[in-house]
Amino acid sequence: MEKVELVSYFNESLFIPALRAKTKDGVLEELVDCFVEAKFLRNPAIALEMVHRREQLGSTGIGHGIAIPHGRTTAAPEVMIAFGLSKNGIDWQAMDNKPVHLVFMVLAPPQELNNRYLPVLGRLVEVLSEPHHREKFHSVTTYSDFINLLKS
Amino acid sequence: MSGKIKTQIEFLVALQDLDIMIKEIEEVKELGFEVNGEGSAALISAREELVQKIKKPMLAAYERLRNRYKRAIVPVKDDNCLGCFMKLPTSITAHGRTDKEVLVCENCGRILYWLS
Ligand SMILES: [Zn+2]
Repeated sequence: MEKVELVSYFNESLFIPALRAKTKDGVLEELVDCFVEAKFLRNPAIALEMVHRREQLGSTGIGHGIAIPHGRTTAAPEVMIAFGLSKNGIDWQAMDNKPVHLVFMVLAPPQELNNRYLPVLGRLVEVLSEPHHREKFHSVTTYSDFINLLKS
Repeated sequence: MSGKIKTQIEFLVALQDLDIMIKEIEEVKELGFEVNGEGSAALISAREELVQKIKKPMLAAYERLRNRYKRAIVPVKDDNCLGCFMKLPTSITAHGRTDKEVLVCENCGRILYWLS
């Protein structure tokens, strides 16, 4: 698979260094609302329904404190990723049952010109599978730190 | 989630999102995500439930369009249908934004959904 540059799919307005929500459902809602506030999404109910359905299929908590809720929705105009950090951790019924601290929400339209969605999702999983690299995301406080980490 | 009554177009969008998810299960699994059989069954039953809420002619139109094109419902951006990229007439764009009524592209016949 061709290496995907992840940075361009993030945005400062989709960066939440301290999530307010304390539950999985709360975090899903907080991130979807973030897309709406950033004007990347018009209809939060539709996107939220999709991410909830996706969780039904199996937890998106991939272990090591990371969750990547994701999906295609007709309500999304382009592939975008929101990031949220939870200091306390959230019960996500993850594969390893560990609380989730890093949440990356990936939304994509039903159809894209270059079909970036699955490669982006795969690249994200790959980047976060590296233990040393992964740990560093836990201490990011600013968007520029976050982007630098993604680029490294 | 808000308590407002969903419009037919919102049900159709939810149905399309669900159909895409069902179709992409295997790809997502390959990336290392957990997908369980129970979950797949839950999606199928969610689809059945959703279908009940959609008016018969609307559902038939959706299925017909889905056979013809990959996507039955397409977004409208800058007054263009993103299915066939034709500019939509104001008679359609003036009414579409509320998603209260179901409108189709005069050129390709796809159901339209407004992104902004
Ligand atoms: Zn069209």
